[in-house]
Amino acid sequence: MAFDLFLLEVVISGLMTGVMYALVALGFVLIFKASGVFNFAQGVLALFAALALYDFLAEDGWFFAVFGFTLPVWLAIPATALIMILLAWVIERAVLRFLVKQEEIILFMATIGLAFVLEGLGDLLFGSDVKPLDIGIPQGASDWLLDNFNLYVEKLEIVAAATAAVLVTALAIFFQKTRVGRALRAVADDHQAALSVGISLDKIWVVVWSVSGIVALVAGIMWGSKSGVQFSLSLIALKALPVLILGGFTSVPGAIVGGLIIGVGEKLAEVYVGPLVGGAIENWFAYVLALGFLLFRPQGLFGERIIERV
Amino acid sequence: MLYRENGQFKSSYSADQAIFPIAQDRVFVIGILLVAFCGVPFVINEYWANAILIPLLVYALAGLGLNILTGYCGQVSLGTGAFMAVGAYASFKLVGFFPEVNYLILIFFSGLVTAAVGVLFGLPSLRIKGFYLAVATLAAQFFLIWLFNKVGWFYDHSPTGMITVRPIDFFGIRVTGPEATPAAKYLFTLTIIAVLTLAAKNIVRGRIGRSWMAIRDMDIAAELIGIKPLQAKLSAFAVSSFYIGVAGALYFGVYLGSAEPLEAFDINQSFYVLFIIIIGGLGSILGAFLGAAFIVLLPILMKNLMVGGFGVASGTAGHVEILLLGALIIFFLIVEPHGLARLWQIAKEKLRLWPFPH
Amino acid sequence: MTAHLKNETLLEVESIFLSFGGVHALSDVSFDIRKGEVRSIIGPNGAGKSSMLNVINGFYHPQKGIITYQGKRRAQMKPHEAASGGIARTFQNIALFRGMSTLDNIMTGRNTKMSKGLFWQALHFGPAKREEIENREFVEHVIDFLEIQTIRKTPVGRLPYGLQKRVELGRALAAEPTLLLLDEPMAGMNLEEKEDMSRFILETNEEFGTTIALIEHDMGVVMDISDRVVVLDYGRKIAEGTPEEVRANQNVIDAYLGVSHD
Repeated sequence: MAFDLFLLEVVISGLMTGVMYALVALGFVLIFKASGVFNFAQGVLALFAALALYDFLAEDGWFFAVFGFTLPVWLAIPATALIMILLAWVIERAVLRFLVKQEEIILFMATIGLAFVLEGLGDLLFGSDVKPLDIGIPQGASDWLLDNFNLYVEKLEIVAAATAAVLVTALAIFFQKTRVGRALRAVADDHQAALSVGISLDKIWVVVWSVSGIVALVAGIMWGSKSGVQFSLSLIALKALPVLILGGFTSVPGAIVGGLIIGVGEKLAEVYVGPLVGGAIENWFAYVLALGFLLFRPQGLFGERIIERV
Repeated sequence: MLYRENGQFKSSYSADQAIFPIAQDRVFVIGILLVAFCGVPFVINEYWANAILIPLLVYALAGLGLNILTGYCGQVSLGTGAFMAVGAYASFKLVGFFPEVNYLILIFFSGLVTAAVGVLFGLPSLRIKGFYLAVATLAAQFFLIWLFNKVGWFYDHSPTGMITVRPIDFFGIRVTGPEATPAAKYLFTLTIIAVLTLAAKNIVRGRIGRSWMAIRDMDIAAELIGIKPLQAKLSAFAVSSFYIGVAGALYFGVYLGSAEPLEAFDINQSFYVLFIIIIGGLGSILGAFLGAAFIVLLPILMKNLMVGGFGVASGTAGHVEILLLGALIIFFLIVEPHGLARLWQIAKEKLRLWPFPH
Repeated sequence: MTAHLKNETLLEVESIFLSFGGVHALSDVSFDIRKGEVRSIIGPNGAGKSSMLNVINGFYHPQKGIITYQGKRRAQMKPHEAASGGIARTFQNIALFRGMSTLDNIMTGRNTKMSKGLFWQALHFGPAKREEIENREFVEHVIDFLEIQTIRKTPVGRLPYGLQKRVELGRALAAEPTLLLLDEPMAGMNLEEKEDMSRFILETNEEFGTTIALIEHDMGVVMDISDRVVVLDYGRKIAEGTPEEVRANQNVIDAYLGVSHD
């Protein structure tokens, strides 16, 4: 049959990458949804989480140096989650609470500063060499798909996709059904109003940044397992921006859809247009795509329309 | 009792509008200029010129440019690195095409080219704001750097992909390349920066500057009182890009001597300049200089302190520097979002009262 | 007030329909404003008064209806067309430029009168400087008129509410408007401040002949300084006429439920 297997593989590969982007974008959406802050440090958080996880697992880390043993995977992951929660608490106390009343651009720049701090800290504590991350996710291509459909798809990416699906559902339920979730949406809408009905802003922010931190951990695990824990992980943050533009800054499903579109779009552009212009289109394609989107639909696919009032 | 305005009454609007209405300020600034132009060239050496003064001046110029766009007009840009690249490559090609034309004129035209590119990438600002605009500028950043990397014409098809500045004489004095004296390079740079700073200050305190600030503070109200957003925003992009382009041309020609897009003009450069204006003070001409001084001197201080003083490995010093920079950004944003310039102003106000406490 | 009324229409709005999504802000509103008069627009909260001003200003574009200004019909106005056409306004929630001083804010009001380009601005000495000083002189007249000399250089963000409103009026006056739209200029003011503001508004109208459209909740003020009144409720016009006529109108009384506003 005339079905282009190669095209399908490219698309699937793009979808898989897209899922990875979406995971990082999710963390952004959470924080933005609940506090109106665009957290530039999200990518670095993922890196930091992955570094911490590695430290618990590996024998050349601090944990081993201090305690003499490493943690098994099923303990290491919750331990890292705890670290991320602690980090969220510190960030709220040391940075966020002082910047409540400032405009979003100031908060954004503060998160850039935060990204630098975490990056420097990460490098100092854990070293900047590439670390392999193995938490037991099966490696290699899916044999079943390969044998039955002649499709090359990595098992890791399937796991990532499944995880993302679970995360999204959990988060959606969290936001819609729980008390805390409702409070988060209230805060995102209007800080002052939320305060006046007794919602404690700092607690909310700690919760949000913790959840975001855990999402970052998941993203870090996936990316780290795929290509090792390294600095370039933090650059994913920059890629998440176009994802968010497409999907809307406040939409959880939007982050997924946006991620998928960017992932596929990038891959297709690279494969089909790339050779015509010398390759490496992936560097900028996502941004130009996002730019185009911005001009025609500034709020993204799923975002809320902004009506200006005077 | 040094710093008093007593007795300094302005009897004309002209005097009231002067850049330095207070006499003591005028004296101070004239003093600095005298030292800068007439004193420093005689004592300057290779290290001071290349490691401190010239990068300080060039970064201050870039900071001025970005400040015009982001500080005065409120349009966020993360594309500064790429625009510096445009200026650098423009100057490189122009010198190649017109080697007999005066270098200053070619630098001026490099600025114009960058202004045009800036306006192009600034067009989206008419529809999008805030950090959505930042994304648009990121598109510029990544696309342009890719362009300069890929398209051989830009770097004269050199096999290394780098551009190297040709030795250029300015009225008979060598200002670029290894044979240029530090004093020559320094004075050339200083003059350009001084003239452009004056121009910037003039623009900013006039009608156009006010329209920029109005757009920044409340763009809807600005439009409703008759300020055309198109003109205001695009003029901000144009002027800002011009300055950044000239800074890029000087960065490449006088400071570095040779450049490669991924290292010299990448996104980190954009962040650097952004940090300069945050630390120095958004919406302040002086701030660009203070911020640049900070950013240039910090790594040197760090190296001397840590590597020289404590024997720390230079790689680690680099990490600490990044950490410190980030922490300082956060610190400034929390404590004094108006940066060093505001701190300077506060100091001056205290000085006015001195020796009285209040 | 009525002495210099010529019966010449400056602005007329016909059958204006304005909605946002499902919300009908204005339905079939028609009225006119005569040259030189003080025309108040009143009505309960949410009646659409600010939206009406925004339509006149060109900020909102009505789905249906025609605006005729100075004899020219428009389906839609662009904001800076309105501004250069001589329409200036103040805002309900002060829209001053917080990063600038009083003087600079009022100078922005002169923007439509100033034109020297980038090159001259950069040079400063010469035409740009002359233009700056000319306009500065006019702005100083406005500052004297509004008695705000002492706060000239103060950043407006630091000023008390009442003074901010006055500066905003100054910015509007600096444009030498033909039609001045005032959106609740006295909101949040005490009696003394209101008296000052009323005085400024009346002087602007009487001395400079500026036509004024005014949204105001204080009935006392409305009765005192208006020539004619339009009453809106739920986006519709429910009455118009002189202050006395409107005050006696049963529809108006019903709309307000007889609640006094002092």
